[in-house]
Amino acid sequence: MQDFLELAVSAAASGCIYGLVALAYLLMIRPTGIINFAVGEWAMLGAFGGFLLLTQLEWPYPLGMAAVVAAMLVVGWATERIAVRPLVERGAPVIAPILALLGMLVVFREIVSLSFDPDPHPVPYAFEIQNQSAFIVAVALLVFAAAWLFFERTLAGKTFEAVALHRRAAALMGINLSRVTALSFAAGAAVAGLAGLLVAPNVSAHYLMGVPLAIQGFTALVIGGVGRVEGALLGGLLLAFAEQLTARYAPIPSGYTQGVPLLFLMIFLLVRPTGLLRARS
Amino acid sequence: MSWVRWAIAFVVLAALPFFLGNYYNDVYRKLLLWVALALGYNFLFGISGQVAFSHFAFYGVGAYSIVIFLFQLQLPFALAVLAGVVLCVAVALAVALPTTRLEGFYLALATLALGQLFIVVLNEGGAVTGGNGGLANYRLPPVFGVHVSGPWYTGVIVSVLLGTMALLWRLDHSWFGRACRAVRDNPEAAAAMGINVARTKVIAFTLTSALAGGAGMAYAFVDNTVNPPIFGLENAFLLLFMVIVGGAGRHAGAVIGAAFLFLLPFVLSPLIGHHHVLVFGVLMVAAIVLQPRGLIGLYDELRRRIA
Repeated sequence: MQDFLELAVSAAASGCIYGLVALAYLLMIRPTGIINFAVGEWAMLGAFGGFLLLTQLEWPYPLGMAAVVAAMLVVGWATERIAVRPLVERGAPVIAPILALLGMLVVFREIVSLSFDPDPHPVPYAFEIQNQSAFIVAVALLVFAAAWLFFERTLAGKTFEAVALHRRAAALMGINLSRVTALSFAAGAAVAGLAGLLVAPNVSAHYLMGVPLAIQGFTALVIGGVGRVEGALLGGLLLAFAEQLTARYAPIPSGYTQGVPLLFLMIFLLVRPTGLLRARS
Repeated sequence: MSWVRWAIAFVVLAALPFFLGNYYNDVYRKLLLWVALALGYNFLFGISGQVAFSHFAFYGVGAYSIVIFLFQLQLPFALAVLAGVVLCVAVALAVALPTTRLEGFYLALATLALGQLFIVVLNEGGAVTGGNGGLANYRLPPVFGVHVSGPWYTGVIVSVLLGTMALLWRLDHSWFGRACRAVRDNPEAAAAMGINVARTKVIAFTLTSALAGGAGMAYAFVDNTVNPPIFGLENAFLLLFMVIVGGAGRHAGAVIGAAFLFLLPFVLSPLIGHHHVLVFGVLMVAAIVLQPRGLIGLYDELRRRIA
């Protein structure tokens, strides 16, 4: 029982991380339809921000966290400016920015691999080791509550929704499309960077940490469905529990747990491509 | 193209390695294999419009399977090749059947996950895959009583490349190629014209994946070693970059893109060391934002201006 409780706590924490990455995808997919695989790299940038500010410069945690989130807002905004806006303005098909963002993924990763040596870089815990899981869950719940309130209760959130439903109609209603796009990328980067910062103490900041996170986050999104914010969290938690239960109890080599997202992805694509939660009508 | 031209192309490409030293022969073989991969990937991505990251994994499936079938299961050569192709087709169908029925980028994600999983299987495969170190210390057995080595083996690679090229060229100029382009440009319209969209996608994916597997089998005897890092996502991305930088949807674009990005590090490494991947990323973004038709589009424009 003790064993299972420990597993549940650690699964809840990684589930929240996956959920945050899924939310980062969702924030951009909802208004723009763009799947940005570079979210994993953004999480990696967040982790390295933590290494730089908290480990090397020894800033106090709340200040470092705020600085990382602020920096990620800028990174997200800049990414949108470089790789998305020129294409959207030209009326290119939605695949074009997705591919350009893959290029940005490589650019981010290579910049980090050039700037830091290839060893894992330690990032400190917010409080102590045993509290990190609770801290992750608390922060994730806060972010999800904020995202839910934003989409359901604020005018700005409604403009996102309007753009998601019908771009042209939304533009005709006076919604500034490029501002919504820029905001969604900035917010996506901030959420992804936060996920990276939170997971970094457990896995250490490493320049190759991005792609696995990007896959797990997207799987969480497919499980939960892009229709609703809560779906991302639910999907993340389900995926994390499935992974950890497989790793603990299934008689297979531990490396194979990386196959769990693929299996989940395939099952959901076949059986329920809209995800568990349907969009509210 | 007529048979005469293909024969001339074969003679020229296959004769070249006899005038190259060992080192340049090695570079030349890898260049040929990259071009073969890029042509297949161009058919999948550029002509059929499917975003997949598994092409390089299938290259790995081909390379590993021929080595495992030949030296661990001791199958005869022809049977080992056949079994490798069957394995590639089976894996491709398993991925393509569920994912191509859905809209959007599910294929991209499923193949991304497949690419990751393939590396895991290679690393965890124990004695069968050789784990982290991969498999080494094997030599191409005599094929139908003939020992093929050195520049002669490069001739085998040339035939793999030209075979791939000829097949894709004919397909592209057939009913199937047009169906693929129609599905890429407008699936609804294609379906209305009586094209089975899902089946066209599945066939294109499976066929190009099997071609990648074939190139992988040829690769297995280039370095006489196969190991996990070669078949990782790095190279899957590089392949995508080659096709886009060269000009997606055009065979010539794939050839130019593959040659350009494969040879670029040789030129750049004296200047910037091993940081050429960053240059690849920048080129990729620049190509999509500034020159969506790629290098081949640039060439067209140049020719138009001169004329």
